[in-house]
Amino acid sequence: MINVLFFGPVAERIGNNQVTVAYRPGIRMQDVRDELAAQYPQAFEIVCFAAANGEHVRDMSFPLADNSEVAFMAKFSGG
Amino acid sequence: MKEAVRIQQEDFSQDEEVAALKGSSKRMGGIGTFIGCARDFSEGREVEQISFEAYGSMALSEMQKLRADAIEKFSLLDARIVHRIGTVQGGDNIVFIAAGAEHRVAALEACRWIIDELKQRVPIWKKEVTPQGDAWVVPHP
Repeated sequence: MINVLFFGPVAERIGNNQVTVAYRPGIRMQDVRDELAAQYPQAFEIVCFAAANGEHVRDMSFPLADNSEVAFMAKFSGG
Repeated sequence: MKEAVRIQQEDFSQDEEVAALKGSSKRMGGIGTFIGCARDFSEGREVEQISFEAYGSMALSEMQKLRADAIEKFSLLDARIVHRIGTVQGGDNIVFIAAGAEHRVAALEACRWIIDELKQRVPIWKKEVTPQGDAWVVPHP
């Protein structure tokens, strides 16, 4: 299972701060993004960043392990 | 002593943070500090409160990396970064950054660099609460 976290504006558009996606061998960040973007297109309009296990992921071909924690995030506005 | 990098709900004391920074080295000849505060007016609207949400574990780890990067890049003797989350009122403190170096230029430049990088790298989002309703802030490019 892949645990996907949402925060702030993305969580608000999804109406939830966490969903799970079934793990399958060879699954990549882009696959998870595509699956969720199809379900939540309005939320993914504002997604700018992705992270896996708390680290920024810029290459969406990044392979995911089972039990990974993934986040799709809007542009940051801290500070 | 408090950790040099923190995310917390409560306010911070600039005096305590600067004292902790100075306590780390007597070679420090310059300290640059930055405090980000909550404005009560934004984009033509009154702002009653600002609410901050973070991806806590990643935000802390990114802030720790940011401190280490700044220490290396500017040859700092020490640096501290504190960011508040939760709800703050107009005029309240949001973020504190201090950079200590042997000389002033590195301290001041590092401080500016840290706040600019923090806005790009650290997963924290703010929502402004206004009389017209709540709105997540869309950052300026």
